[in-house]
Amino acid sequence: MINLKLPEIIRNYLALPLFLAMVATGAHAEVVVIVSANSHVTSLTAEQTARIFLGKTTSFPDGGQALPIDQIEGNAIRDEFYTKVVHKSATQLSAYWAKVIFTGDGRPPVELESNVAVRRAVAKDRNTIGYIDKRYVNRSVRVILEP
Amino acid sequence: MVIRNYFIALLGFFACVANAEAAATDQPQVTFGGFGSLGVSHSTMGSGDYVLDGGIPKGPGLSNSLSTTNDSRIAGHMAAQMSPKVSVVMQIDAEYHSGNSYEPEVEFANVKYVFAPDVYTRVGRVPLPTFLQSENRDIGYTYAWIHPPVEVYRQEQLTHTDGVEADYRLQTGAVGHSIRALYGRALIATNDPAVLTTLSSKHLWGIFDTAEYGPTTIHAGYQERDTNSGYILTGLADTWVKDSDLSFGAQYDPGNWFAVSEWIQRKSTYKTSAMYVSAGYRVKKFTPYLTYAASSQGSFLPGFPPPSPDGIRLAARAQSTASLGVRWDFRRDTDFKFQLDQVKLSNNSNGFLANVPANVSLYGSKFYVVSAVVDFIF
Repeated sequence: MINLKLPEIIRNYLALPLFLAMVATGAHAEVVVIVSANSHVTSLTAEQTARIFLGKTTSFPDGGQALPIDQIEGNAIRDEFYTKVVHKSATQLSAYWAKVIFTGDGRPPVELESNVAVRRAVAKDRNTIGYIDKRYVNRSVRVILEP
Repeated sequence: MVIRNYFIALLGFFACVANAEAAATDQPQVTFGGFGSLGVSHSTMGSGDYVLDGGIPKGPGLSNSLSTTNDSRIAGHMAAQMSPKVSVVMQIDAEYHSGNSYEPEVEFANVKYVFAPDVYTRVGRVPLPTFLQSENRDIGYTYAWIHPPVEVYRQEQLTHTDGVEADYRLQTGAVGHSIRALYGRALIATNDPAVLTTLSSKHLWGIFDTAEYGPTTIHAGYQERDTNSGYILTGLADTWVKDSDLSFGAQYDPGNWFAVSEWIQRKSTYKTSAMYVSAGYRVKKFTPYLTYAASSQGSFLPGFPPPSPDGIRLAARAQSTASLGVRWDFRRDTDFKFQLDQVKLSNNSNGFLANVPANVSLYGSKFYVVSAVVDFIF
């Protein structure tokens, strides 16, 4: 799949030192689902979150528009999110999107390349929803699900 | 031919508009992709060809010892987002069909207009969602099997219709519904010697619901149409017959295993039904699975002229298949599958075998089909 729309490229210079620190301390990444601190949404179930990320709904349960922001393939936190929340492996996810895209039913979410990029994008837009490593949470976003 | 040229022209038009749009906004929203399968199969039944549906003229068995006709294809896909509300999709498939060639055909070509986040319409060549895997039955990468169970999926050979479709998505509590209604017409090339070269369907309408509750998916559909199959079934020229399909499917897929079953009842001048059950278990990159599928012999319905000999032969066809297979996701966006089928023909038909010589009776025969395929998406 070649998407001519280039994703927003935001470099995260902290990734490598943090990764090394993680390895050194044996820390395990914990995924959390976030919305903007300005959003009205306070909590979602894993099922509701999965429906948004699979494009089966485009709104939050309260009716507001929901724009999911994904992390790029290869990020460990992405695999953890899809395993824990959506219950799909990378292969199952790719098969799912092949079905949806090729039958014209929809398109996968926009992808950003790091926890920081997702946090910044989610903080800026109250319609967005993303997932990040718990250690990247700050006051600009609200955690609505800790699977 | 006229319709094909029309769609090719339409594709060109959409491509131009999409490119113009892209140039104007410098945020092109055009995606290209595709999928394919390279498959080969062998059948131990040498007196007839094992084919997936009536549109495939030959297969493993009588015509060839090893055949690529059932499970080989390549398809290209283009999608263009013209505006937040309007998008266009085009899919072109090349697979072995009634012209004894892999000549490409337009599978889907439609314009989608989104009225509200959960309400949209599509106009053009749109998918016909008879079964759980109808719309993606050509995309081997999207399911575990070599191909969807033959006895059930061949009951409805149409995969698209030229017309209009309305879609509504509805969330009631934890259950999400996707409701679709469509109206259109279709032409289908067939290959059974008794059957007209082109089976025409008009006034086709259908309503379908796919309900999802966590890992459970329930699919139900009803569709009917007028077809010119009356000539084959009754021997009387210009006899149009109303065909109808009632179909149900249920799937449970919590992630590391799946179970799925579907059932269809089909009526024309006769009534017949078919079902399958299948289950698989995902172990790392491997998904072994088992499937059992069976179709029943047709019983003639009152209110029609007496059946022709071809009508009697077509209605009598029934068979069952037990399959054992494995999918191996050996690299990104690519899988390899291997499947062994044991096919049993009913006691008074040659089942769905093609090209069986007129004086040969294979009633009650049992044989094996071995298939291997590599599926990919790009």
